[in-house]
Amino acid sequence: MRRGDIERLNEVLREPMRVFVRESRAHIALLVNGSGQVLAQHGFVGRYHVMNVAALAAAANASARVLADLTGAGRWQYLHHAGRSRQLFLAPFVTPSEELILVAIFDEQSTLGLVELFFQRFASEIRRLPEFAEVLPPVSASAFEGELEAGLDRIFAPQQSGEGS
Amino acid sequence: MSDVVSAALSRLSQVPGVRSALLVDAEAGVPVASELSAGVSGEAVAALAASLFQRTEQAARDAALGGLGSLQLETEDGHVVVAGGRQLIVVVIADRDAQLGLIRLETDRAVEALR
Repeated sequence: MRRGDIERLNEVLREPMRVFVRESRAHIALLVNGSGQVLAQHGFVGRYHVMNVAALAAAANASARVLADLTGAGRWQYLHHAGRSRQLFLAPFVTPSEELILVAIFDEQSTLGLVELFFQRFASEIRRLPEFAEVLPPVSASAFEGELEAGLDRIFAPQQSGEGS
Repeated sequence: MSDVVSAALSRLSQVPGVRSALLVDAEAGVPVASELSAGVSGEAVAALAASLFQRTEQAARDAALGGLGSLQLETEDGHVVVAGGRQLIVVVIADRDAQLGLIRLETDRAVEALR
């Protein structure tokens, strides 16, 4: 769980997220931590929508991890869902401070291989950031909830009217 | 790996000057089978070659030139040949002094065999 450094993280993650979206040609991208806390986003226009996707991403990650353990598969790499017109890519990666999850939605302008390739580069860049270099101490649930709300306010404050990171 | 895919890759790899050969799922941009030289990332080459092929094909269609059969890149140290169809594409990475005519011939044969 992140605490009072969310605002700085949003700023630090803005450029890597922009590069990922540009290179992978994803339409929508979201970076959350294992608790479902939103750290960066691109393409969402609604706060309610991004909260739902963040919670579902954290839940899918937790379920997939248990499933991998149960089947002896070890760590899982990514989840890919190919819809009729849009595709979903969801992948966890570990940093020294915490596990993060990237969710990307793309269409025929991109491919799974392209998204996966630039996800790997994105994850490598995030791992090198000093903001993710230290192990985080635990915080209370109420403090987390307050930060979650404040983080969403900050993420959506500058671009309420359209798409963008 | 099926016999057809295996044989196609094997023939391509045996052409003098060929460093790596890959069969790539065109829609997903991921390798289906590959014979790679050391230091070559099959996943990265597959993703980027598939993207390049799709973009070039789109450009050809937009220019009223019809569908794309193959494309060839010349780089400082070698060549990349990409050919294929809707489902599978063949990617060949070759030395600068490789016999490109032979590579093109074997690439076309591989595409035919995979149809």
